[in-house]
Order: sequence, then C-alpha cells, then structure tokens
Amino acid sequence: MVLAAVWLALLAGLGYYVEQRLSVSGDLRLFMPTPHTRAQHLILEEVSEGPGARLLLVGLAGADQQSLAESSRRLAAALRADHAFRLIANGENRLDAVPDALLPYRYLLSPTLDGQRFDAAFLRSELIERERDLSSPAADLLEPWVPRDPTLEILKLLQSWQPSQEPQLIEDVWFNRIGNAALLVVETAAPAFDPQGQRAALQLLRRHFTETRAASTVRLEVTGPGAFSVLMQQRSERDARVAAVLDTTGMIVLMFLAYRSLLCVVLGALPLASAGVIALAAVTALFGTVHGITIAFGFTLIGVALDYPIFLFSHRVPGVTPLATARSVWPTLAIAVGGLCIAYLAFLISGVAGLAQLACFNIAGLATAGLCTRYLLPRLLPSATRDYGELALPRRLGAWAARLPHPPWLAPALCAIGIALLVLVRGDFWDNDLGRLTPVPRPLLLQYESLREQLGTPDIRYLLAIDGRTADEVLAREEQLSDRLGTLVRERAIVGFDDAARYLPSIATQERRRAALPDAEQLQAALAHATEGLAFRPGLFAPFLQDVTRARQLPALTPAMLAGTPLELPIGSLLLERGGEVTGLVTFGEVRNPAALERLAASAHGGIALLDLKEEAETLVARQRQRIVWCVLAAAVLLAGVVYGALRSAVRAARVLTPMLLTTLLTLAILHAAGVPLSLFHVIALVLAAGLGLDYGLFFERSAHDPTGQRRTLHALLVCAAAALVVFSVLASSALPVLQSIGVTVVMGVVGNFLLALVLIPRGKGSNAQP
Amino acid sequence: MTVRARRSSTLPLLLVLLPGAAVCATQQVDALLKRLARPAPATTPFLEAHFSQLLAKPLVVSGELQYLGPDNLARIVEQPYHERSEIRGDSVSLQRESQPPRSFSLQRAPELRSLRASFAALLGGDRAALEQQFTLDLHGDEQHWTLGLTPRDPHALEHIRSLVVYGSASEPRCLITYQANDNTTVLLVGQGAKTPLPPMPDRAWFDEQCRGAQK
Repeated sequence: MVLAAVWLALLAGLGYYVEQRLSVSGDLRLFMPTPHTRAQHLILEEVSEGPGARLLLVGLAGADQQSLAESSRRLAAALRADHAFRLIANGENRLDAVPDALLPYRYLLSPTLDGQRFDAAFLRSELIERERDLSSPAADLLEPWVPRDPTLEILKLLQSWQPSQEPQLIEDVWFNRIGNAALLVVETAAPAFDPQGQRAALQLLRRHFTETRAASTVRLEVTGPGAFSVLMQQRSERDARVAAVLDTTGMIVLMFLAYRSLLCVVLGALPLASAGVIALAAVTALFGTVHGITIAFGFTLIGVALDYPIFLFSHRVPGVTPLATARSVWPTLAIAVGGLCIAYLAFLISGVAGLAQLACFNIAGLATAGLCTRYLLPRLLPSATRDYGELALPRRLGAWAARLPHPPWLAPALCAIGIALLVLVRGDFWDNDLGRLTPVPRPLLLQYESLREQLGTPDIRYLLAIDGRTADEVLAREEQLSDRLGTLVRERAIVGFDDAARYLPSIATQERRRAALPDAEQLQAALAHATEGLAFRPGLFAPFLQDVTRARQLPALTPAMLAGTPLELPIGSLLLERGGEVTGLVTFGEVRNPAALERLAASAHGGIALLDLKEEAETLVARQRQRIVWCVLAAAVLLAGVVYGALRSAVRAARVLTPMLLTTLLTLAILHAAGVPLSLFHVIALVLAAGLGLDYGLFFERSAHDPTGQRRTLHALLVCAAAALVVFSVLASSALPVLQSIGVTVVMGVVGNFLLALVLIPRGKGSNAQP
Repeated sequence: MTVRARRSSTLPLLLVLLPGAAVCATQQVDALLKRLARPAPATTPFLEAHFSQLLAKPLVVSGELQYLGPDNLARIVEQPYHERSEIRGDSVSLQRESQPPRSFSLQRAPELRSLRASFAALLGGDRAALEQQFTLDLHGDEQHWTLGLTPRDPHALEHIRSLVVYGSASEPRCLITYQANDNTTVLLVGQGAKTPLPPMPDRAWFDEQCRGAQK
C-alpha cells in the first residue's frame, strides 16, 4: 500500500509538472518534413501563419437587406475598435479607408506624375473635368474630394488597388451573389496555429455580433482556417470525451466480467495511466512544445499497454504468487515491450519533429507500462482464486481452435489475395491532400470555397517568386517586370496579376515622382492660370496646395510604414521577409498558359522563379509520407530483428510475425479495395494494430506447447482483443473522419491479428522450448 | 392665393379632427399622379443649374432627359459639352465626349436613388411606391401645384433634405433638389426648359422660372 501511495504521489507530481510546463501547439509545421525548396517554405508559411490563414470570412444572413447592411456596418465598427482584430473589410467607405496621414503620399504612389507635370495646362484640363463632374450624376461622390484632390489621384489609386473582382454592393456593403447575406473579411491578430488565440477571437467576434446586430433574426456564419481549427478542436474534444466515457465504462464492465474483482479493474488501469503521465512528462521535458496531434496519436498508440496487465492477470494460477506469475510472463512481455520501443527508435530519425515527439512519447509510455506490470502490479495484486484457463469460454475456444486445420497454403494464399487486391484494384493509393492533416468536413470546406470565390481572393496555384536582399530591390524588380506581365495579360496567357509594386512603388520611383512636383509658388501660379473663367470659388484649392507642399517633403513610403493601413494586408502577403532575404510574390487571377510564365521567369536569368504550389504541396506530402513509410519499414525490420534475437530461432520468429504482417497487408488491401485513399492516420492505426498483433503472436507462440497455459493465454488474448474492440469500435463510430479512420483500421487489425494468430500459429504438443 | 389641401403643415390637430382633409389630399395626389403619368419611353428637354458650396456661380447645362422604364433613366447633356449618363438597374454609367466611360454603383449615390425613385413613381403614376419612399406634401390647385417629397429612409435623408416638384395642370415644370450639404439643383423640364437663358442666370432667375407660371 505504501508502494501504491508513493507511486500515485510520483504520478501526481509529474502530472503537475506537465500541467505547468507543457504547451500544446496547433502549428502543423511540427508535423511536416523540413522544407527544401522555396515553394515548400512558402506553402508551410501560408498554411501556418500566412495572412491568408488568419482571415475569417463572415456572412450575416437571416433578415432583410437593410438590417443585414446595418448589422455589417455596426459589426465592422465594433471590430475595428477591438485590438484582437487587425483588418476589417466589408465594402463600405472606400474613400475614407485611406488614413489621413497617408493621403499626401498619393502623389508618390500614383503614376500620374510619370508622364505629367502639374502645370497650368494639365491642371486646367483636369479642373474643367471637375467642373463637369460637379454637374454630373457623380457630383456627390466627388464633391468632398475636389478641393483637396482636384486631379482625383486618390480615386485613381483606389481603383488600381481594387481587387479584380469584388462582391456586389448593396446598401454600400458587400453581399453575396443572391443578395441574402452581407459579407465581411476579418483578420485576427492571433496567428492561425494558436488555437487559444483563435478561439478567443471567435468568441469576441460572436459577442460583438450579438451586441451590434440590427435585428434579432440576423445569423452569423464564420468560416476560415482559424474557425475550422477551433471547430475541429471542439468536435474532437467532444468526441474524445464521449469516447473516453464509453471506453472507460466498457473497460470497467469488461475487466469486471473477466476477473470478478474490483481491485483488478483498478489495477488494470494503472500501467496505462502511468504510461500516459510519464510519456507526457518525457515529451514536456525534451521538447517543451508538443503538437496536439502528437498527444492524440501518442495516446492512441500506447493503447497497446492495455494488454500488459491483462497478460499478468490471466496467467495467474491459484497457489502461485502474482510475483512468480509476473516473472514467468516477463520474458515474452519484455520482447513485446522492448521490440516496440526499439522499433519506435526508427521514428526518431524521420526528420519530422512531430514524429520524433511521437517516438519519445511511445517509448517512454510503453517502457513505463511494461515495467509497471512487471514490478509494481504483482506487489499490489491478490493471488488468483481460480485458473482463468479453466473457464468455459477459453476451454471451448481452445478445443475449437485445436480442431481447426492449419493448412500450410493458407498464409501464402492470403498473401497472394492481398497483393492481388493492392495491384489489381485501380484508384489512388495515397491521399495527397495537404489539408487532410486537419480534416474539415466537406460541406464546410465547400461553403468556405464559395465565400472565398465571391470575395475575390485569388486561388493560388501558380506564383512568381522574386528574390532580393531588400524589399526595395524586390519592388524595383517587380516594376521592371510589370510591362512584360501586362503583355501576357493582353496575350491572354494570364488573367490579371497582383504584386506588391502595384500598391507600393520602389523608393526610386517615389523619389522621381516627388521631384516632379512643383513648389508652392509654381503651383499657385499654375492654379491661378488654370482656374481663370471657371466657376470655382476663389481659394477653394488651398488643401490641394497644402498636400502637394507636404508631399514634397515626405520620405518615400516603405512597407514598415504601412502598418494599420489598408495596404498592410496586400503588402504583407505579397512581400515576405525571411532571414534577411525578401521574396516578392506575383499572384494571378488565372493562369491559362503556364509555359509563357515559365519563359518569362527563365529569361530573367535567376532571381525569378515560377512556383507551382499544388505540385510542390503534393511533393511535400508525398515526401513526408515516403519518410514515414520508410520509418515504419525500418521499425518493422528492427522489430523482426529483436524478436529473432530474443527467440533465437528464425522459425519461431516467423511464426510470431506472420499473422501480424499478413493482417497489415490484408487491412491495407481491404482499405484500398474499398476505395479509401490512405492517410497518415491509417498508417498510425496500422502501426498500433501491428503492435497488438505482435502481443497476440508472441503469447500464442509462447504457449504453443502447453495446453493449460494455452487456455490461460487464450483467456488473456480474448480479454485483450475485446478491450481493443471496445475502445476502437467507439472511435470507428465517430463522425470525425480522423477518429473514424483510426477506429475502423484498428478494429480490422485486431480481428485479423486475433483470427490469424489462432489459425496460423500451430498448437499442440510442445515441440519448442520456452524462451 | 388659391385653396390649399394641407396635409402635414401648421395644424396637425386639424388632421385628427378632420380626417376628410387627409382623404381629400390623397385624392388630389392620386388625381395629380394620374395626370402626370407617362408610358415609357418619354423624353423631355431639360435645363439644369447646379448651385454648390464649391462654386462662385452656378453650373448650367441643358439637353434631354429620357425616361426609358422604371429602372432606366438617361440624361444627355448637349450644352455646353456632350455627356451621356444613364441609370440602369443598380449601376450608373457616365461618358463624357471622348473620355473612357465610367460607372459606379447606385448604392454609392443615395441622392440618385431618391431621384430615380421619384421619377419612376411620378411618371408611372404609382402613389403607393411614392408614399413608400417619401412623405408627400401637395399644395396649390389643379392648374398650379407644388409637390414636396421628403425621403422617409433616414439613410437617404443624410443626403437629400427634400425634392420639390412644380407644375401646371398635367405638365411638371421644375424639380428642385435640396441636398443636406446645402447644395441645390434646379432642373427645368418641358416648357420650363425652353425659356432662353439670360447672360448671367442666378438663383433668383431659376426660382422665378420654377414658380413663374404660378404667380
């Protein structure tokens, strides 16, 4: 009892340490291989922390257009005042969107001064147009700007900044195509991979919405990477909670039915619980930050440890101390535990941070569970009151199994069927979609895609990447490129293009324009000439004179000065700085002729590259998968080596490993034949099933010579398989694709491993010595 | 001064006491709209003066207005330059001489929306539509009448204080737009647009043209 108390105190201490120190991250890059090409860097950045990943697309629906528009305006105003959000766009107030401080810069940003001087002739021609504007239907739009900006530079700039397509405006705000939902784009301050930050931002958004909506029927719909991650986290937490309750109840009932002892129920949970706490403490100490997926996968994989106490419990015999039973079971159990621990070492060299964490988690967890079963449990466990091998079920199953034929052709035949299914059934074997790592239900993705399309965010597949040492160098190169891109637009090789230089000219260009501005005296004289005989009130253009005078003293605008302006978002997503290098991106509305872009990039002699992000993403996923598959294969080889080394017999090692390998092959074949493309989740589930299969094989083989021992082993394996089926059937019935694919795969693996071990491992009179 | 049908003027109590007066006004508006209704397409010459805080003197243009349907209104300026603007559905297009056409959403120009609504309802003879958007205030008699339109939508009121239509019998003569920013546009149509311009037309002259026939 003292031992138990000390152990529990130790676990509690470690639990406290984990609680205090562990930070769970949602950063997917932990689960990605190290990027090699620039495109792969870009993809990983875009996936994890690009401004695109921080955008929430918001729809307001459920009332008449006026109420929706009013709600949109009020919500935007509330969000703009909240620091949890950076940029809010809902289509309204475009002319006011440019902050006052930025207004004098219009003369440096607009191309007007490239081919014009602000002389009397030019000003007069512009002012005549303004006079006519004032008596045209556009009068009320333009009148506020005429005194300050008679050449309408700000309008030219806003027009050139406008996205090539924009949602329709109803009541001055964005609406969807059928006009029943007002649309907003909101950028959160929290990065996309910070689940807590995203959750807080979403809660704030909801609160602002409820406080500001114009009618109680207005509904809020939020979509976007951040919203997805929060939703998926909530759903998986909910599903996992339900699963945990069902699993725990199932396990308690099962263990009680099997051993008729509450103490056994409690003690049976101890190795797994210890394994979980110590595994978490180990990754916390080694890594500090752990991906949520590592923890989820880790807890799935150490599920193998459920079996360990069961082996001990079922092999107890009245009159033999539990410690003696533990000693007799240990050689086999040690091979199972040690084999898996050594096999997981292969994951350490995968080059994927998340997998290395997973390996540490599992090695620490499994070793704990094994040692706990060997050294702690026997000291707490009461002696057996009955021989579990003599119960009805294992006796009958044992008798039935003994009559089963063990045809030597069965294994080769099953192997051939598996290979035939894999080779002959057509269809994608692997799932190459990068997004599947955080699988989002399809209807939600479709809703997101449709909103994104209506909001005119370009669908990025092809990109030109332009390198430079400084942002200004990149901007200058983009300016040089824009004529040739314009030609491609006219030739219809591309539909529109967008780059940082469109919003922010290079310093040289801005300085040239600034130098072209007249001084106050010249401008005053030119204006006096230009207004002669026109209807304008005298002195009307004083604000114009003021702005030009200010512009002549302004330093050129740089990306750093754009924070908090409407230009921050486009510049931030089109001009990326990393490690002292700057990459400018050119995006396209549509690329009809990638070869033309390829030629353009090639003719630049370095520094410009055409990136195909779709191809790169698929390469990235494929390479990551390749590494994982190699890891799994290396682990399998290590495992086979350990089993062979421990049993010191190739025949026995083959007997132990055949059911497990065949089951893995058949599970793969059935999934493939059913048209399921394999993902990382299936691989993880297969590894778990193989681990369980190893246990079954080792214990079946161990008792091959001894009929009573065999029945005890059968009892143990029946309880083990039932436990695994209880736990993973619950997962298989989850609505979440991830949990479901893990559950289904493991259930198939458990059934296969159990049946094949029963059929393929010959039993009868012991022909082999125990290890 | 002829008899006036008061609807929303100095003695609102009267309305409560004498519901007949309101009925009477409604009937008079109905009668007026019936006289004003024109099937599309209809055209009329116009002469327009724009008085703005930015200007030392009014901008005066003339040309032709075309009512092409409830959602389609064209304004062709012929003097002193050429310009064609058209409201079609929800968008406004504007082309001046050889310049490239410009267009913008009607949603960005609430005053144009009110203008279009009033035109469409007046020429379509649709009192319900007119009353949905404006409070009406009819003065005068069949021969010389004044119809005041005040937008009901607070959003529209931020831009337009009121529209006043002057006319005689079945002919509208003039429409004055009073904007919230104190700008005023006087639009003379039909017979009103045909009066020759004096060398320096001012506000008084235009007001006189509007009410001229009512004196």
